[in-house]
Amino acid sequence: METALALRALEKSFSSHRVVDGISLDVPKGCFYSLLGPSGCGKTTILRMIGGFGEPDAGEIVLNGKRLNGLRPYERPVTTVFQSYALFPHLTAAQNIAFGLERRGEAPAAIAPKVNRMLELVGLQEKAGRMPANLSGGEKQRTALARALVVEPEMLLLDEPLSALDPALRKRVRIELKQLQKQLGITFLFITHDQEEALSLSDQIAVMNKGKIEQIGTPQEIYLTPATRFVAGFLGAVNWIDGIGVRPEATRISRATPGNGARTVDAQVETSVFLGDCFHVQTRTSAGVTVTAQVSHKDEPFANGDRVHVWWHAADELPVRE
Amino acid sequence: MNRLRALFLAPSAAFTVVLFLAPMAIIVGYSFMTRGVYGGVTGPWTVENYQRLFDPLYGVILWRSLVMSTLATALCLLIAFPLALFIARAEEKRKNIYLYLVILPFWTSFLVRTYAWMFLLRDSGLINSVLLSLHVIQKPLPLLYNETAVVVGLVYGYLPFAVLPLYSNLERMDKNLLEAAADLGATQWETIRRVVLPLCAPGMRAAGVLVFIPCLGAYLTPDLLGGGKSIMIGNLIQNQFTTARDWPFGAAISLALMALVMVLLLALLRRDGEEAL
Ligand SMILES: Nc1ncnc2c1ncn2[C@@H]1O[C@H](COP(=O)(O)OP(=O)(O)OP(=O)(O)O)[C@@H](O)[C@H]1O
Ligand SMILES: [Mg+2]
Repeated sequence: METALALRALEKSFSSHRVVDGISLDVPKGCFYSLLGPSGCGKTTILRMIGGFGEPDAGEIVLNGKRLNGLRPYERPVTTVFQSYALFPHLTAAQNIAFGLERRGEAPAAIAPKVNRMLELVGLQEKAGRMPANLSGGEKQRTALARALVVEPEMLLLDEPLSALDPALRKRVRIELKQLQKQLGITFLFITHDQEEALSLSDQIAVMNKGKIEQIGTPQEIYLTPATRFVAGFLGAVNWIDGIGVRPEATRISRATPGNGARTVDAQVETSVFLGDCFHVQTRTSAGVTVTAQVSHKDEPFANGDRVHVWWHAADELPVRE
Repeated sequence: MNRLRALFLAPSAAFTVVLFLAPMAIIVGYSFMTRGVYGGVTGPWTVENYQRLFDPLYGVILWRSLVMSTLATALCLLIAFPLALFIARAEEKRKNIYLYLVILPFWTSFLVRTYAWMFLLRDSGLINSVLLSLHVIQKPLPLLYNETAVVVGLVYGYLPFAVLPLYSNLERMDKNLLEAAADLGATQWETIRRVVLPLCAPGMRAAGVLVFIPCLGAYLTPDLLGGGKSIMIGNLIQNQFTTARDWPFGAAISLALMALVMVLLLALLRRDGEEAL
C-alpha cells in the first residue's frame, strides 16, 4: 500500500528530557492510524511536529513524498483537530468552518457551498449560525472536525478528539468518526490513550511508551499477539503466571480437574465480582500469584475460599518477547 | 453576615462620600452661583454659567480637546497593541520584567517627566542639538510648544494605561487559537487580523477609555508642552479657578466635561452589552 506519511528516526527533547526518542513509522494512504500510549509518552509532541508546531531535533517527516521539515504550519497540507477544539469564539460554526477556505484564498462563491456540504456531512445544518459558546460538546467536536476537513487536507491529525465528551456520547461519536473517515477516504492520524478507542477505530495502531514505539500492527495483532509485556498490559488485563501471560477471558476455572492439553495451576477463590455481562473471579495460586478469570453466568457459581483449578489453552498464551 | 458586609464597605463608602461626593456637591452648587470679585462665589443663583458654555470660543477648545485626545488614544492603542502582544507571548519569567518596565515611569512624578520632554524637544534640546551637529538640519525644528508636542506628551503619559488592559486580554487568550489559525492556513499577519484583534476588542475598549478620559481632562501636558498656545479643556478649567477668578464658570465646565465623558462611556457600555448577547 502507498505510504502517506513517513516518520524517520524522529527525536525531540525538552530541556535534556528526550520526549520523542527515535520514532519511525509509515502511515498508509487512507488508513485510520492510531498512536496509542499512556499520558506523557510524547504523542502530542509528535503530532505537533507534523503540524509544524515545533521542529524535531533530528529525523524526517515526509508526507506523500514531500519533506515537511522546516515548513510553516500554514504551508503544510495537514490540518489538526485539537483536543480542546480551539474553535474561534468570535465566529459562528459556519464561519469557523469557512476560515480555512478563506485563508486559502478561495472565491467567496465557492466557499458557501463547501461549508454547507460540510455542515450537512457532520449534521450541523441547524446550528450553522450558532456561536461556539452556544454549542454542545458533541457539536463543538463536529464543528472542529468539519473545519479541519473542509480544506481537504492530505492528512488529518486528531489529538484525543473524543476525550472531552462524556462516555455515552463518546461511543456514538466514535462510530460516526470511523464512518466519516471511510466515506471520505482521508488518512487519519489519531492520538489516544484509550485502548478501547484505538482498538475499535483503527486500521493500524502504533503503541508507544516513553517516547519509543513498542509495537505496530492491526488491532487484532496488537491485542492477541503483543510483542512486549508493556503492550500486553496496556491493551487489557493480563494474568502473569510464571512469566506467561494469559488474558482473563482466556483463563478458565473449574472444581474438576481439567482435561488433557490444558495448562493448569491450583488456586483458591478470593473474590467474585459481578460485572453485568460476566463475573470476574479473582483467585490466588499456591505460589501466591493473583489470577483473574472471566466467568459467564452459565458457569457454576464460585464462593470465596473455594479450592479450584485455574487453566487455559496453550494457544491463548500471549507470545510476549520480554 | 450583613453587619460584616456593612463593616467591610464602611471605609470605601466613607471615603467616597467625604472625598468625592461632598466636593462634587460643592462644585454643582458653585456652578449655579455668581463669581466673587476676588474669586470665590456669591449669590444670586443663576444658570448663566451653563449658557456661556455655548460660546463658540469654548466650542473651539472642546473640539481641539476631542481631536487631540482621540489622536492620542489612537496612537496609544497603535503602539500598545504590538507591545502588549510581545509581552504576552514572551517567556514566562521575562513577562514580569517587561511589565515592570512598562510601569517604571510611574516611579517619578509626571511633572518631572514632562519637564524632561521639554528638555528633549526645545530648540536647544537633545534632539535638535544632535540633528544640528550632524548637519541633518540647518536650524532647530519647532518641536516644542505646538499641538504635536502635546499629543506626543499625552501618548507618552498614558501609554501604560493602554498596555496593561491589552496585555491582560492577550495573556488570557487561548494559545491554541493561534495555532488553529496557522494550522488552517493563516499567516501570522492574518492570524493577528482575523483572530487576535477581534478577540482583543474588549481590551481595546478598556484601553481606549482609560487613555481617552484622562487625555480629555489633561492640563499639565498642554500647558507645558503646548506652551499655553493650544489649550485644552483642562487648561480652561484651571484658568477659571486661577487667573480668571471665575469659579462658577470653572465648575460649570468641569460638570459639562463629566457629563460628556459619561455619555461616551454609556454609549460604549451599551455596545459591550449588545455584543455580549
Ligand atoms: N513545550 C514543552 N516544554 C517542556 N516539556 C514539554 C513540552 N511539551 C511537552 N513536554 C513534556 O513532554 C512529555 C510528553 O508530552 P506530550 O504532550 O507529547 O505527551 P502525550 O503523550 O500527548 O500525553 P497526554 O496523553 O497526557 O496528552 C511530557 O512529559 C511533557 O511534560
Ligand atoms: Mg497529548
